[in-house]
This record gives sequence, C-alpha cells and structure tokens, in this order.
Amino acid sequence: MHIMEGFLPSPWWQIWFLISAPFVIYGLYQLKILVNERREALPLLAVAGAFVFVLSSLKLPSVTGSCSHPTGTGLGAILFGPFITSVLGLIVLIYQALFLAHGGLTTLGANVFSMGIAGPIVAWAIYRAGTKTGINTFVTVFLAAALADLFTYVVTSVQLALAFPAEAGGFMTSLVAFGTVFAITQVPLAIIEGLVIALVFKYIIAVRPDLLVRLNVLTEHAVERIREAAA
Amino acid sequence: MENILDDYAHTNGLREVDTRLKLFVGAGCILIGIMSQTPYAPLFIGLSLGCATVLLARIPFGIYLRLLAIPVSFAVTSCIVILLLTGGGGVIWEWSILGQPLTVTTESADLALLLMARTFGGMSALYFIALTTPAVELFAVMRRLHLPQEFIDLSMLIYRYIFILIGEAIAIRNAQVMRHGYTTFRNSLSAFSMLAAMLFLRSWEKGEDLLRAMDARCYDGKLSVMEDEGHIPKKALLAVAAYLCTCMAFMVIPGG
Repeated sequence: MHIMEGFLPSPWWQIWFLISAPFVIYGLYQLKILVNERREALPLLAVAGAFVFVLSSLKLPSVTGSCSHPTGTGLGAILFGPFITSVLGLIVLIYQALFLAHGGLTTLGANVFSMGIAGPIVAWAIYRAGTKTGINTFVTVFLAAALADLFTYVVTSVQLALAFPAEAGGFMTSLVAFGTVFAITQVPLAIIEGLVIALVFKYIIAVRPDLLVRLNVLTEHAVERIREAAA
Repeated sequence: MENILDDYAHTNGLREVDTRLKLFVGAGCILIGIMSQTPYAPLFIGLSLGCATVLLARIPFGIYLRLLAIPVSFAVTSCIVILLLTGGGGVIWEWSILGQPLTVTTESADLALLLMARTFGGMSALYFIALTTPAVELFAVMRRLHLPQEFIDLSMLIYRYIFILIGEAIAIRNAQVMRHGYTTFRNSLSAFSMLAAMLFLRSWEKGEDLLRAMDARCYDGKLSVMEDEGHIPKKALLAVAAYLCTCMAFMVIPGG
C-alpha cells in the first residue's frame, strides 16, 4: 500500500528516509560484493526487479472489487534475501511513482521502509524458519508472502498514525483507526497474494526446480521430496 | 497497464527542454508544497503544473484527469480518519459510533483540507516530471549525482526489461482470457498464478540470454553509455526561478 505524494508532513518524511537509508546502503554494499564475485548476478537481478515491477502492476483477482495489486517483494525476499530486495524495492518504487503514479518522491522513504524493508524481512525470516522446522514448503511460502503483506500494511498504518496522532488517545487510537479502514482491502489482498505466490512456487518447482536450488532457496533433497509427493 | 506514463514522456511537447530544468521545477514544487502550512501554495502548484502538463507538454486532458483519480481513494480514506481523529479548535460536528465519540473540529477540517491540497499539488508535480521526462534521461542525472555504478546499471537493465516483460504478460493474459481463464474467482486465481510463474521463468531465461549477449560483447561488470552535456539557457533558468518564487509567495498568504 503506497502513501501518496505530499501526504506525510515534515519531519516524518525525512525521518523515514533516514530510517530506510542504512538498509538500502547495506543492500548496495552487498550488491557490489555480489556483482564483483559473480558477474552473472547483475542481469539476473535486473530481470528479477523488472519481474517484481510487472507483477505489482498487474491487477490481482479481487473479492472486494477494489483495485488491488500484489507487492511481489515477498517473493523477491524469499529468492534473494531482504537486503538486496530493499535495493530492488527502491528502484521498483521509483519506477512505480514515475510510470504508474503509485506513491511519490517525498514519501519514497516511508514506502521503501514498509514495502521494501519491513515486508521482505518478515517474508525472509518466516521462510527460513519454516524450512528449518520442516513445515510443508507451500504452507511456508503462503505464510511468508501473506504475513509480509499484512506486516507491510501494519507498518504503513503505524507511519500514518505517527504522523497524525488522534487528539483523544493519541497514537494508539489513530493506529486502530487507520488499521481498520485499510484492513477492508488489505487483509483479503494479503491472503490472495499468499495463495498466488504459493502457486507460483508450485509452478516453478514443476518446470525449473534447478533455479531454486541454485539460489539456495530449496535443497535438492527438498525438491525431490516435493516432486515425489506431487507425482 | 499498457499505457504507462513513460510512453507519453517520449512524445511530450517539453521533450527537448533540459532534464535538469524539468527536475528542478518538479522537485522544487514538491518541496514547496510539503513545506507549505496553508493549502494555497499546493493548490496553486497543482493548477499551474496541471495547465503546464496539459497545454505545454500536450498530454491529453482526459488522460491527465484519469491519472489524478489514482490517488483519490487513498487520500479520501486517510483524510476521513484524520478528519475524525485529530482535534483542536471549535467543534463543527459530533456523534458517536459504538461508544466511540467522533468529532469534526475546525482544526481537523483545516488539516484534512491541507493534506488534500498537498496530495493534489505533490501528485501534479510528480506527474509533471513523469510525463515530461523519459526515464532514459534520468540515468544521466543519476550518473552526475555519482550514485553507485551497480545501482545505475541495475536501474537501466530493470527499465529495459520492464517493457519486454509487460509485453509477455499481456500476451499470456490474452491467451488465458481466450481460454476462459478468468471466468470464476477460482479460475482467475490459478490463471494469475500460472501467469506470474511463467513470467518469472521467462524473465529468468531472458536474463541468461542477456548475460550471454553481454559476455559476447566483453562485459566486465560495467556498462558504459555515452551522453552529451547540454547547457541550460539563462532565460529558461530565470523563468523557472520566477515561477518557484511565485509558488513560494503563496506560502505566506495567511490560512483561513
């Protein structure tokens, strides 16, 4: 969920830029190392970034009838880790602001934090934890993508509530109010995106499991187990 | 989705104007709008840049209106929350839902109005940049700002691949629609997932092809691009400065 241009007042839009900066800078540093070590990383990351952009510009099948787009960054975090995803998220958000009029430039810091940093960290942590405990891969992917979406929307609500605290009850009242009005569109969206990403995983495993093994997302053993279960 | 703003940027009436000048106008207006404590400056920015985009850059008016409608749903829902929650000043309206008192006060109404104006002004400035400046020109500015090379290369490649993938996505979607892929909710869920997965695999294969193509041209981890340095005419610079000063003058009008 994007915060529109001009919506966050000073000093909040500057603060969110400052909070996002260390993550993006660390991501850039990781990117530099990765590109120096493995030349093939840059073109592959580029198509992944373009994929995230195109995925987020497609309309999801929706129940409420509202305009809902997937964030796609959850998938990026599962595949590439949270820090590189934050760099991809930054580029994708700039393009979304300039090409699709979603989000804005002063609110870029806040949007990068909610969609490019907070969501992907949750997705990545859940995915890693899930694979360690040996829960079904598709359930893990569903949880990772859906909860990343939910967390993104909670963070956006926090950002708005911090900038506009209620007169009676302050920050918490505001948070509940923003959380409630956006829940109507965001909760179904999170569930649908979770289902979609889990299905995407299923199709990728069916067609090109070697990609996932090479990216260290699944072990060869896990792929074999899933394919046997499907057969 | 087929018509992204960049398509208009390539053919707009201000295409030949120096990129830095356009960015200066857009960014300046965004900053003035967000710093303004009264709705007048953002409203003036919104109207004047809207006129500039439609009349000077010759963007079709209908399309511009459709673009302005995009932020409306977000802005309206958020403004309703702000209208009811923040306080100060005299009470205009009061009632309660589920024991929760809801009041609209003069100050909360002012704040909601200010935010609507800021969003309108900010989005107009953003559209001004988006509709007059093709992304290709932005890379030159990024390079001049000495952003990391990897970041710029990654942005350029992503930009290139966005268009290829959008084409693929449209082709797959059309094929699915023809085979009744989106008739029921269940169908559309599986069709959409299949589209996303195939798009991912296709893009990955494209990436591998790109690597081979770049290797064949001695790619060593760096993309060098030629660009020419231009000069900004003094008159244009003065006009822009005068415009931004006018915008700032609206900031000092006392709020109602």
